[in-house]
Amino acid sequence: MAQTLSDQLNVVLYNFERNVPHVEATAIVSTDGLVIASRLPDQVEEDRVGAMGAAILSISSRSGEELARGGMRRVLIEGDLGYILIRSISEDAILVALVGKEVRLGMLFYECKKCIEKLSEIL
Amino acid sequence: MPDLKQIILDRDLNPYHSFFAAFFAGLGELGMLNQGSINIVAKRAADYLYAYLDAKQILPEMSAVPGDTPAAVIKNLVLYVNKILSLVGEYDLQQTNDDQVVLLITGNTCRICPKGVGGAAVKGTLCPIPSLLENLLNRIANRDIVQLITSGIEKDGGICKAYFKTSL
Repeated sequence: MAQTLSDQLNVVLYNFERNVPHVEATAIVSTDGLVIASRLPDQVEEDRVGAMGAAILSISSRSGEELARGGMRRVLIEGDLGYILIRSISEDAILVALVGKEVRLGMLFYECKKCIEKLSEIL
Repeated sequence: MPDLKQIILDRDLNPYHSFFAAFFAGLGELGMLNQGSINIVAKRAADYLYAYLDAKQILPEMSAVPGDTPAAVIKNLVLYVNKILSLVGEYDLQQTNDDQVVLLITGNTCRICPKGVGGAAVKGTLCPIPSLLENLLNRIANRDIVQLITSGIEKDGGICKAYFKTSL
């Protein structure tokens, strides 16, 4: 039986989480701030991840333009307990990842790029 | 920038309409507001509006009688909310099947549209009405009688559509 779009997206997210230790949760969000697919823990509110992820990326992009920093490649927020990584997948979709503090950032960025390429092919 | 004078006159805006539409539009253009965040903050707005209606003792009666269709019951509540808030000039609410209704808003009569009134130059929608109605109607009914199916509105020509699942 053919996989649904949702299944295909979830497989890519699952593989990303599996390939990079300490990636704890992921979501694909529309630029409208609405969740398309996600692998989030129960205690994380999906709607908020979608709304905030899209807003952070949007503000970052506009800041990059206004402050002459060029196109925005990625947003990495460092907190005491870990990171939030946000990257654009296409004009209409973004990837949000919640990552533990112990992650190797080089590995994270490398695998994230591969994940984005796969998601771009699907979406 | 839209012809504000014409919009104000055509849509019969009051100062609050102008303020909210421009405020939402500005936040949207800065990238701080999207449909997802509007859906979230509309819940808080609905809670405050409910508290206002309660404090002023102007909450409507839930006047469903046996035989009333979900559309009829919800239509009465939407009519009441629109009378209080004066959100839109022209709209209709139609039952699409046993447990689903669609709200049809004539776009150029909406008084709080961040894009049509506020002039927000953004992709996608920024409509607070569906999620505001969902949360406020459920507060008034004191149970979940409507659930927004669409994530915001769907544009169909000049009509803005929002679909709700009903459970009376």
